[in-house]
Amino acid sequence: MSNPAETKPLPIKVITISVVLIWLFLAAFPFLWTMWGSFKVEGDFFSRANWFNAITGPVTERQHGSPFTLAGYEGAWIEQEFWKAVINTAIVTVFVVIISLTLGTLGGYALARSGFKYTFWLLMAALVFRAMPHVTLVSGYLLPFFQLNIWGYLPTTIIVLVAINQPFTLWMLHSFFLSIPKDLDEAAMVDGCTRFQAFRLAIIPVMWPGVITTGLFSFLLAYNDFTVTSMLLSQENQTMIPQINAFLGSTQEEGKVMYAVAAVVSAIIPLFVLILFFQRQIVSGLTAGAVKG
Amino acid sequence: MPHKTFLSFIWPSLVAMLLFIALPIVSVGFQSLYVEHEQVLVVGETCGPFGCTEEVSVDAAAMAALRAEQPAGQFNGLGTYTNASHLATDEIAEIFATSENFSEIRNRIMNLPFYKALIFTLSYTFIVTPLVIILGFIIAVAVNAVPAMLKGPVIFFSLIPMLVTPLVGSLVLFWMIDSRGIIGAALQSIFGDPSLSLKASPTLTWITLFVYGVWHSAPFAFVVFYAGLQTVPRDTMESAMVDGANRWERIRFVTIPYLMPLATFIALMQLMDNFRVFEPIIGFSAAASATSLSYLIYNDLRAAESPLFGSAAATSMLTIIGVIILLLPVLRQNWREFNRKT
Amino acid sequence: MARLRLKNVNKRWGSFVGVDNFDLDIADQEFLVLLGPSGCGKSTTMRMIAGLEDVTEGEILFDDTVVNDMDPKDRDISMVFQSYGLYPNLSVYENIRFPLRVRKIPKEKHDEMVMEAVRMTELEDYIHRRPAELSGGQRQRVALGRAIVRRPNIFLMDEPLSNLDAKLRVSTRAQIKNLQSKLKITTVYVTHDQIEAMTLADRVVVMNAGKIQQVGTPTDIYDNPANVFVASFIGSPAMNLVQGTLENGVFEAEGIRVEGLPLAVSGNVTLGFRAEDAEIVEGPAQISSPVYSIELLGEASMITWRLAGSLVSIKTHKEYRADIGAVVNAAVPASICHLFDTASGERIAHG
Ligand SMILES: Nc1ncnc2c1ncn2[C@@H]1O[C@H](COP(=O)(O)OP(=O)(O)O)[C@@H](O)[C@H]1O
Ligand SMILES: [Mg+2]
Repeated sequence: MSNPAETKPLPIKVITISVVLIWLFLAAFPFLWTMWGSFKVEGDFFSRANWFNAITGPVTERQHGSPFTLAGYEGAWIEQEFWKAVINTAIVTVFVVIISLTLGTLGGYALARSGFKYTFWLLMAALVFRAMPHVTLVSGYLLPFFQLNIWGYLPTTIIVLVAINQPFTLWMLHSFFLSIPKDLDEAAMVDGCTRFQAFRLAIIPVMWPGVITTGLFSFLLAYNDFTVTSMLLSQENQTMIPQINAFLGSTQEEGKVMYAVAAVVSAIIPLFVLILFFQRQIVSGLTAGAVKG
Repeated sequence: MPHKTFLSFIWPSLVAMLLFIALPIVSVGFQSLYVEHEQVLVVGETCGPFGCTEEVSVDAAAMAALRAEQPAGQFNGLGTYTNASHLATDEIAEIFATSENFSEIRNRIMNLPFYKALIFTLSYTFIVTPLVIILGFIIAVAVNAVPAMLKGPVIFFSLIPMLVTPLVGSLVLFWMIDSRGIIGAALQSIFGDPSLSLKASPTLTWITLFVYGVWHSAPFAFVVFYAGLQTVPRDTMESAMVDGANRWERIRFVTIPYLMPLATFIALMQLMDNFRVFEPIIGFSAAASATSLSYLIYNDLRAAESPLFGSAAATSMLTIIGVIILLLPVLRQNWREFNRKT
Repeated sequence: MARLRLKNVNKRWGSFVGVDNFDLDIADQEFLVLLGPSGCGKSTTMRMIAGLEDVTEGEILFDDTVVNDMDPKDRDISMVFQSYGLYPNLSVYENIRFPLRVRKIPKEKHDEMVMEAVRMTELEDYIHRRPAELSGGQRQRVALGRAIVRRPNIFLMDEPLSNLDAKLRVSTRAQIKNLQSKLKITTVYVTHDQIEAMTLADRVVVMNAGKIQQVGTPTDIYDNPANVFVASFIGSPAMNLVQGTLENGVFEAEGIRVEGLPLAVSGNVTLGFRAEDAEIVEGPAQISSPVYSIELLGEASMITWRLAGSLVSIKTHKEYRADIGAVVNAAVPASICHLFDTASGERIAHG
């Protein structure tokens, strides 16, 4: 590192540091601002008088006796029953992740260990489905689901999300299984295992890093989904993101907009935690397609 | 692996994908050929204290019977595709026949919902994608050069705009650009115009959406480029130094060519993601000035009384065709590579 | 214990031929080595024997049973892989025990059998370690231990030494040879290293581009290569080969003239001789040409000429000195020469 060719002249240092700091500000500030503001009342967060009020919160202080208030959260979680949406989201994400990974590991393993004929078609399908707006598929679901009377329920949505996510899951897991040497399961088969036993005894114990990375992306898909959940779930089964959108319709009245702000912040916090713990896996997952593809 | 073993592993995935991806596409194609039943009207009399009045109303029972009999509606052939809210063939012909100049043609076409959405979708796709790549590259190069202790936090905060779902991300920005929000207020005082609102003018709305798009996706490009930068071969870099290349020339002749495949990858992902832009339009309440193809479908399906399945399906089919056209070069290239390998 | 037969075995992927009409009988207890450059189809052949790859055409028999459609687990074989294929989550002991476990061999026998294999592979001190905590040589021995723990019908080894450093390779090679002769189990061993092949094999099968080139004992292959490919692949340095014409028992090419060759043959031939068989001489001799390079090897010097486009080398004593470009003569008597048909590459029987 003390290589003379790598010490940078001052102006370049200044420029790079400022680029990084500006970007850091652009990326982080909106969220920090909104989080801070979610503990204020509307009169402060959307202050007509002075934007600085959103930081100090004089109106909040006047109304609630302290510059911070949980009014928005109370309104959203209790009055508007956001907690139901949170529970629904939890159910949907947990099941989507578990089912996606179960199907995906089996299929991804088979793809990785078969000739490359199937793999090509899978790649093509994964590409096309990834490009296809989910809402186009949704317009195909609605009518049949109404007919079959399965519209509006959580299990339907879970299966749809699993299926939509499947090409991507298969692709990621298949690339991951390719990086596990074939020798491992072949050794197991020679040692006396069937293909399935080899998968269970030799592959499952070593596949967790790839499964966790893929699982993170399944989680994000299910957690963040708006299109499918907003169209396929009935009102009482709504998950968080469509619920936030539903709030917006009813926020014209004074004060209600803070419910939406509180709900948005509530939806962001789990992602903060997720990134905090799994930053490395997320980055490696994002770049996996680029490096291996 | 024999085919039988292969199938025994993959059938659950396969069934899920066939039922919920392949079949719906067929269903969309089928629905696009039908339109909703015309309403069955009945004339009834309502009698009140002031005498009887004749009233026309929808015969709910008859409608229900019709729907039960033909759930998809009545057959309409390609009629939905060509009507005014889709390809609008008649209207387009009329516009070309009667318009004086180019700007009139443009304005009139922009009034047709499908073309308005298509033009926004394409503009969004082809403006945001290159900006994402450029900005992502600049951030990656800069982050690569700063002290290590800064890198972790930068990556952490960079991931947030990308991983937060577009609806939530755009709401966060939307509240800030509100004329009472911090950015909105700041812009008003910078331009000294207290009536300035980013939401009012279509142009400003478009720009806002583009800015949102870049903010949302630049982290992806940054992360991929940053990972790529870690693997730039040291030998090549050092031989460029020995050969006397300056800092800029090293970026120009070593780094950029090395990262080129990654740029292609990012471009592909971004083209696909941006083509389905939809949630920001809802988040920014921008539908009045900007709609996208996905938004049109969503809107049809959300139609107040009964969803316009036929119309949504036709737009969906047109969108799928658009996706395939967009991907055609990539698919063709993959196909060629595949054939070369076998 | 088993005899292994491959009857006209073919492996094709689409139009690509991986193994072409492989036909061979391997005797019980034989140590057979498949030798050839990388990509020639050795592993594919072995994997077909193991049942890890389908046979496109032909039959594989263990004793008198056709095993084509048998799963690997039912073939009663064991295999050592190039990258060992150890189970990273299991200890050395458990790795070696694995085949016993999945084959439902009675539990009470396990410990004895595992410890026997551990002793034979000298792994006593490491049985509780995970593979990640072992050196390359130790991992290799674990793979070997896992292969021998249950006495299989046939041992298969696919380049088991190629990930080891040169020194370890020599000692492990000896260990494998020793184990095989103790256990008396039919062994098929794949390598691209001719020294390994020569030192280990009862018989060597030389392969190229999916085809068997020659089958024979190491001496046989060294002394009587069946074609130009085998001649240029076996031996270090490889056999010198010069293309020229043969007329009336005289071979002629630029810079070389050899008399006294068989009269029955004539036309375009390739003349081959080994570097250690020829010698530098002062007077007129078969080779008389300017020196292309001279290399000091330590125990000897190597003189190289460029004759009719091919490089030809001869070893001489280490004090020998000559300037590059100076004309040097060498004796290549007809008795040390091999003749090959230039067009087909096949050996021309003579003498
Ligand atoms: N699954 C496969 N599909 C197509 N070609 C293959 C496959 N496996 C191996 N090959 C090809 O078959 C040839 C022989 O491979 P292999 O038996 O592994 O060679 P080696 O002699 O080095 O062990 C190689 O050219 C290889 O590229
Ligand atoms: Mg091999």
